[in-house]
Amino acid sequence: MSRDSNYDHHISIFSPQGRLYQMEYAFKAASSASGLTGIALRGKDTCVVVTQRKVPDRLVVPSSVSHVFNITSKIGCLATGMIADCHSAIQRARYEAADFEFKYGYSIPPAVLAKRMADIAQVNTQSASMRPLAVVMMIVGVDEEKGPQVLKVDPAGHFLPFKGTASGAKEQEATNVLEKRVESIPEYSFDETVRTAIVCLGSVLGSDFRGSEIEVAAVQGVQGKFRSLAEEEIEGHLNAIADEND
Amino acid sequence: MGDSAYSFSLTTFSRTGKLLQIEYALNAVANGRTALGIAAVDGVVIATDKKFASALVEGGDVSKVEAITDSSGFVYAGVGPDYRLLVRKARKSAQAYFREYRETKPVGQLVKSTASVMQEYTQSGGVRPFGVSLLVAGIDGDGVPRLFQVDPSGAYFGWKATAIGKNYVNAKNFLEKRFQDDMELEDAIHTALLTLREGFEGEMDGHNIEVGVVSKSDGKFRLLTPEQIQDYLDEAN
Repeated sequence: MSRDSNYDHHISIFSPQGRLYQMEYAFKAASSASGLTGIALRGKDTCVVVTQRKVPDRLVVPSSVSHVFNITSKIGCLATGMIADCHSAIQRARYEAADFEFKYGYSIPPAVLAKRMADIAQVNTQSASMRPLAVVMMIVGVDEEKGPQVLKVDPAGHFLPFKGTASGAKEQEATNVLEKRVESIPEYSFDETVRTAIVCLGSVLGSDFRGSEIEVAAVQGVQGKFRSLAEEEIEGHLNAIADEND
Repeated sequence: MGDSAYSFSLTTFSRTGKLLQIEYALNAVANGRTALGIAAVDGVVIATDKKFASALVEGGDVSKVEAITDSSGFVYAGVGPDYRLLVRKARKSAQAYFREYRETKPVGQLVKSTASVMQEYTQSGGVRPFGVSLLVAGIDGDGVPRLFQVDPSGAYFGWKATAIGKNYVNAKNFLEKRFQDDMELEDAIHTALLTLREGFEGEMDGHNIEVGVVSKSDGKFRLLTPEQIQDYLDEAN
């Protein structure tokens, strides 16, 4: 098998340079499969995720097209990538969170869940029988001790906590926009966090939105629940942003 | 590993008798961020840098240097997610040892069992070798400071001082020049920081490097705080 080094492109074995091509291809699939860009941000007591809602056909029920999921009532996730792989990863995350609470008697902290999902992702990069999932998960929640957290888990099994981050097609552009505000982001109120995330998405996509074209979801405070904002609420924020710009 | 559908090993001998997957894994290690360790007469120090791709990362609680038992710790160079798996297995194995013998697992035993796991992944069905080399630092009940390196093949070596990852050749030359058999822990920490600085891009401070230390005086493995690291750096200047 080592002689057939062409296999290093097909399964999770090392290339001669020490690279894992399957993992790199999984990244590519996760960024470009859906064509969407997603942004996650955390403020003083709030976590927000924002992404586009691209409904492929007018006959499709819009509410069924979503990359934003609840893992528990308090922890949410924006999963960018191949939607079927996203569903698979989310189902596993929901199971892991429920199992944790069953075993240990308290709700799983966001960082612990992220580490668990990252460790699960790592197995697929080392075992040839399963391909890595083409999903980048941005897990958000308000930790009782550490406050609001955004954790990004990638197909390689890396995970890191972020003040703000992006994934998907325009990941780099969005990250550049966020980096300019890195000092002020951790102090943002609920409204500031939501509006900054929306503005950032708008600026990298180069267009304005209607409330029906983006998904916004947030969780505020330790007691808060992770919930998707309704279209009217999103419109309210969009109007406020437009007013600020005038 | 147990539930892999592949019943044959992916790591097989080439015509020239090499195990190429292991060599490639070593290349993955050589692409990783530098880590180094020095064993002094009264303690061991391991260190690595802590650089993130973006200022947006909240690096406060993220660490590469990890304690395994009270008196031993790991650091690595190579593929981060693979390292986490090894840390988890090592901690579990140390806990199982304690459960059976009511004693802390000795460093040598820890190294042997971790190396054995890494070897299994070079021979078992459907898995690839780990893309990490580990540096293991610890002190046993006998008070002797020990530093080991474990490679993707599962081979392990005891070292007086060593470096792994990017730029390891220069780092090892640097260490060879400065290492003394009677070196004390304080000197070792300074030397470790100076060696790290050789390959470091930008200014080194207490927040962008990690240092783990185990000292003969209390036998406990601990990470230096950013303030302590900064103090050592200021002394070195």
